[in-house]
Amino acid sequence: MMVSERSRARVSSELSESGEVLTIRVSGSFDFNMHREFLRAYQNFSPAPKLYCIDLSETLHLDSAALGMLLLLRDHCLDTAEDGLPCIELQNANEHVANILAVSNFDKIFKVR
Amino acid sequence: MPGPYRVLVIEADIREAGRLLRLLRTCAGGEPGAGALELAVRPDTATALADYLQLRPDLVIYGPAAARDAAAEDLQQLRGRAGTDPVPILFVRSDRETLSSACLKTGCDDILFTPYNPILVQLKLAALRRFSHFNRALQAQRIRIRRSHADLLQEQASARQIFDKLGHESCLDQASAIRYHLSPRAVLNGDVLAAAYAPGGKLMLLLGDFTGHGLAAAVGAVPLTASFYSMVPKGFSLGHILREINAKLHRILPSNMFCCAVVFELDPHKRHIRLFNGGMPRACLRRRSGDLRLLESRHLPLGVLEEAWVEEAIVHIPVEAGDHLYLWSDGIHEAHNQRGELFGEERLLQAVIEPLAEGRRFDHLLNTVNAYSADQHDDLSLVEVALDEVSPVTNAAEVAVDTAAQRGGIGDWSLNFTLGPEELRDADPLPLLHSVLAQVPGACSFHDHLTIVLGELFRNALEHGLLRLDSGLKQTDRGFTEYYRQLEEGRRRLREGWIRIQLRCRDRGASGELEVVVEDSGIGLRGASGSDNAYSGRGLPLLKAICREVEIQPGSSRVRATLNWGEAVSTESLHP
Repeated sequence: MMVSERSRARVSSELSESGEVLTIRVSGSFDFNMHREFLRAYQNFSPAPKLYCIDLSETLHLDSAALGMLLLLRDHCLDTAEDGLPCIELQNANEHVANILAVSNFDKIFKVR
Repeated sequence: MPGPYRVLVIEADIREAGRLLRLLRTCAGGEPGAGALELAVRPDTATALADYLQLRPDLVIYGPAAARDAAAEDLQQLRGRAGTDPVPILFVRSDRETLSSACLKTGCDDILFTPYNPILVQLKLAALRRFSHFNRALQAQRIRIRRSHADLLQEQASARQIFDKLGHESCLDQASAIRYHLSPRAVLNGDVLAAAYAPGGKLMLLLGDFTGHGLAAAVGAVPLTASFYSMVPKGFSLGHILREINAKLHRILPSNMFCCAVVFELDPHKRHIRLFNGGMPRACLRRRSGDLRLLESRHLPLGVLEEAWVEEAIVHIPVEAGDHLYLWSDGIHEAHNQRGELFGEERLLQAVIEPLAEGRRFDHLLNTVNAYSADQHDDLSLVEVALDEVSPVTNAAEVAVDTAAQRGGIGDWSLNFTLGPEELRDADPLPLLHSVLAQVPGACSFHDHLTIVLGELFRNALEHGLLRLDSGLKQTDRGFTEYYRQLEEGRRRLREGWIRIQLRCRDRGASGELEVVVEDSGIGLRGASGSDNAYSGRGLPLLKAICREVEIQPGSSRVRATLNWGEAVSTESLHP
């Protein structure tokens, strides 16, 4: 049924044992529909993680709404950073997704690996 | 609180009907919290149909006698009256009778057996009743959604009207060299297109794509077009306009929203374009030979960061005969066929390369994408500019004011201004001069020419007089970029020096003379002729075409240009 399909988590997150690294993995199409889940994945951590890794290895597509969500995460980091700037890394993007990041020049404000 | 549950009993036999009604009342009484029961009896299908809309039953039960005679058409007619509401129809049969397939063929939903088993009947009624409540809730939601969808369409139609009017300031429909297709859903997919002439006949055009969809995406177009249409005609530079729009969008939009944009400025006199691409798909310059030059995004989209370093991202390209520039939003790449495959850049460029008669390529591109695309959602925006054919346009309104002013005369006046390092560092002095000149009666008669002359002389004083930049750099594409990089850096570091601009106007009745003197604190031009001439580019021929006289003295940092009006100096004569 539609309802259960939709609620199937496509954003998963994992906090390292030290609590310093939060890895968020987005699988499938990273778009407006992921808005809530993505937000939930990084909110309410105390103390805030020092490094946010966005694992894009299973991300097939990324639209401008997703880029907007990354900007929100960036703002969130600036708000919650206690000592120094927390770092966001975008990892393992496939060629298509990496190209989208390059076209928008997001590699200038995020670390892309 | 659910409404009453209405049951229509069809039975001609009064005793059977009475038994059935008593049974139903008993069952309803045994079901706490089920709400009221409304019972009605009609002797046959015909009368039931006649009263159906008034009764609006939730359930129809054919009594034992009526059920024997009921035909499939009777049930069909009843269902027809019920419309989209699914109203179950039950038959009462004796369990002594064997169920014939004829009974099934009538299409009844269920059967109550006699003698009645009140517990079973109660169970059945309760189930049907739950079904009916669920259905009512669903119907109510459907109506609500339909209504709000109709409201939404209405709002979107209003938004479209507003946006259509916003676009009225554009010169898109005046210039035959520009062809464009903007998705009919443009307002709501966030695409925006704006174009205007700057003083001096430069054309500026912007194709933008706001994040997301819907009204939120559309709203951003308002501040963007407001800045664009107010700054371009005042003569602000491309970089200045981009920085202003970026800062404004950053201030206004929520942080997850921004605008990808490709913006270019075409100077038809000097025959070059300066193009900025921030986050849009690669724009494509097609040479007459069929060679393509792709102009990729070199900057973050507008509105992402508070400050923008746009100058480094602007590319400079000399225009050649037969050049066409194509701009598109990502809707065109993302058009997909029935198998879900994207149209993509490769197919698009292939269609651009195809040799076609001039003037046919634009429609060919649109047709190619539409033929490929599976859904008929037209979500694409496409702009074609025949760079070579854009001619400077003088505003008709200005001409009208012009003749009126000429009758009254322009008068004799003079203006002096000196710009120090502070102003030269980041201010754009030309818009300031324009706003001053706008107050001078009749100044519009030479407005465009004066803009070109002032622009040339001012830039020359700044770039070569004060900053000592080497024009020779501009001979290659890479050099062009390097030149502008050095220019920005030089301006930022400017700590001393000045540029003085003097205007003197002498009115001779129907004609007159305007003298423009621009002087700088530099050490003077290195020779008016020779390989290192500061005016080695298109600047000097352009000035000479407009002015009656241009006086450049070797070793001097002073340039004097004299403009005449009232004599035929038309823009056409500027074309080589």
